[in-house]
Amino acid sequence: MNKAEILGLFKKVAENPDWQARQWKEEQNGKVIGFLLTDVPEELVHAAGFFPYGISGGNSRLERADAHLQTWACSFVRSSLALALEGKLDFLDGLIIPQTCDTTRMVLGIWQHASPLPFLLNFRVPRQVDRPSARNYLIGELARLKEHLENYRGSEISAEKLKKSIKLYNHNRALLRKLFTLHEQNPASLSNKQLYTVIKASMLMPREKLNELLTELIKAIEQETAVPGNRIRLVISGTLLEPLEILDFIEESGGIVVGDDLKNGFRYIDGDINEAVKPLEALADRQLNKMPSAGYDIARNPRRYFLVKTAEQKKAHGVILLHLKYCEPENYDYYDNIQALEKAGFPAIRIETEYGTTSLGQMRTRVQAFLEMVGGEING
Amino acid sequence: MAEQKAFKTAGLMKDLMAKYYTKGKESREKGIPVAWVTAVSPVEIFYAAGLFPYYPENFGALAAARKVADKLSMVAEARGYAHDLCGYARCGIGDAYADEHPVGEIVKPDLLFCCNTQCGSLPKWFEVASRFYNAPYFLLDSPQIGNEPDKLCEQYFIEQLKELISFLEEVTGRPFDYDRLKEVLHLSNEACRLWNEVLDTAALKPAPFGFFDACFHMAPIVTWRGTQEAVTYYQALKEEVNERIKEGIHAIPDERYKVYFDHIPLWPKLRWFSDIFAAHNALVAVSQYTHSWAYSFDLERPLESLAENYTEEFVNRCFDYRVQLKVNFMKKYGCDGFVLFSNRSCKPNAYGLYDKRNVISSITGLPGVVFEADMSDLRFFSESQIMAKLELFFEQLSSR
Repeated sequence: MNKAEILGLFKKVAENPDWQARQWKEEQNGKVIGFLLTDVPEELVHAAGFFPYGISGGNSRLERADAHLQTWACSFVRSSLALALEGKLDFLDGLIIPQTCDTTRMVLGIWQHASPLPFLLNFRVPRQVDRPSARNYLIGELARLKEHLENYRGSEISAEKLKKSIKLYNHNRALLRKLFTLHEQNPASLSNKQLYTVIKASMLMPREKLNELLTELIKAIEQETAVPGNRIRLVISGTLLEPLEILDFIEESGGIVVGDDLKNGFRYIDGDINEAVKPLEALADRQLNKMPSAGYDIARNPRRYFLVKTAEQKKAHGVILLHLKYCEPENYDYYDNIQALEKAGFPAIRIETEYGTTSLGQMRTRVQAFLEMVGGEING
Repeated sequence: MAEQKAFKTAGLMKDLMAKYYTKGKESREKGIPVAWVTAVSPVEIFYAAGLFPYYPENFGALAAARKVADKLSMVAEARGYAHDLCGYARCGIGDAYADEHPVGEIVKPDLLFCCNTQCGSLPKWFEVASRFYNAPYFLLDSPQIGNEPDKLCEQYFIEQLKELISFLEEVTGRPFDYDRLKEVLHLSNEACRLWNEVLDTAALKPAPFGFFDACFHMAPIVTWRGTQEAVTYYQALKEEVNERIKEGIHAIPDERYKVYFDHIPLWPKLRWFSDIFAAHNALVAVSQYTHSWAYSFDLERPLESLAENYTEEFVNRCFDYRVQLKVNFMKKYGCDGFVLFSNRSCKPNAYGLYDKRNVISSITGLPGVVFEADMSDLRFFSESQIMAKLELFFEQLSSR
């Protein structure tokens, strides 16, 4: 496949999120285990022989969830539940919910009643990550998850299998990071939206196939000559990247996304699992060392300073704080984040989004205005 | 409606709460560190360490009851804290930035301690406060457990208690006093026992004491739990309730029904609600909320016992456990129906109520209703909508 074909395929996957999973299930006669984004050890699910499927939310018919979840609950979770109620997730055999906020902490029981599944489990991530107790506990929690997966599949997950899956995922993350770098160096050959579409698609298709495609894609891009451009470099901070259209708005105003801390962005592909350490310990270490996110208390790496540091390292001209409406943890971080960024000389703007109801016109205007302001500063 | 006879103990409460706020100020002057703590957290450790534990949630409830939550909240909102965040947090953050302090200034922390059994809002609020006041913050993380006690989570909790104790030893510069901890745990046990004995009288028909009384009398079990003051207070309250039983003084004049209420009350509308229920001869008898403080510690295994009590608290439990808990309360108190408050400020208690209503009705056969509002902020209060729901509920009660 050539570059255009590969990118076309990724786009098709992202636009038809159930396509690959349904196909895999039919061909392999296997089980698909969904997860809410993204702090879930997919490697364990994969090693169990299941298809780990990242539920990416949807933009239609959120009201289907209204009988179960308040309209002032997080729209990502509402839209995911709505997808299940609409039957659009009927290929799922299971679901793992990482408890990273009150909504994800409380939704499992609701899900169980509204849309029962044979395998439904909370992944109870530690929310403090600095002290030794967190690591000990997380290793135990990972062992619990492993045991549940083993019971569901009816046999043990061998250490060898798990190591193989870890290797596969490490390779996958390395490829995606490579792609990120290529995008940064040569935005003309891979646009903002194309890059994040690939990351989105990566949660929706088999990893083996994905790695092959990524390898080809990287090779194709590397052969292209880099076109030096004078782009406005931006960092996006938030919980989830939604909607993808914002990337077009940034692009058309001359911007390039050079970094983020999003659960379905760079935070998803950042950091590898140490293959020299016992697998569960290594999985725990990756989780505990992930970049700061609002759901966690990370005293050793405060999020606002992390953002400033990222903006500095990435030579960003500005930061977009993409705020998912009703996301409580994110909202509590906002003011201090924006204060720290502005104090460090990085212009920042908060843009509110919501699955289902974001006004794209208004978003475009705000992005344009922000980029004009930031761009003016660069040139002036 | 006949005016209900006021509790004599209410006077004692005013003194006690005044003393609590004074003690906060005095502690600061004497160099005793003020530690912010959360309502469902092992405060016993802080009393044992000789610190003054201060409850910012109580500040939020006070601001709400005095109907100034919106004013304080707007100061926070001006900085980008949205009005859908926890109302207590908005009051606390608002007060930090405010020039005017309609309920007095929130006591500034020397350190902050949060246990996240209750919710994810408190830890984030405390993180904000830790930055604002430049004071160290300790999060005691408590993953949610299911129907059964969970050894993994208990072990995690115990390890963190040890980390907390080391942290406090550093703050105070002296070794932690485990003998003192035993005394504090004993006092906690006593206060919890007395408090729950008082709550249980709501099962009598007619009852001398109900949920709205409990809302009034609960401040000491939250803020003074672990001290002699709390024990003395609830001894006095229990005596008074027993006198009322003897004298035939009832919580409402003509009790015909008992109602279960979930969860926190609407503080600024406490009186409004209590009058409406009384006018319909319905005693709101019980809520899981006021039963949150029902600990029983084993003094011989202090840390293990703290871990068991706090991780097994219902706020740290799954959907099904909470349903069963509510059903059990309804049975124990002989309830005829239930009212569930979908509280914008308290997401973990609000999420799931729509399904829980159906599940509870199918288990118990009792009528139930869910209404929407905010525990502290009247901008989300629609009297007509709530009245319409309650009227329908009262009709169902009377037709049973």
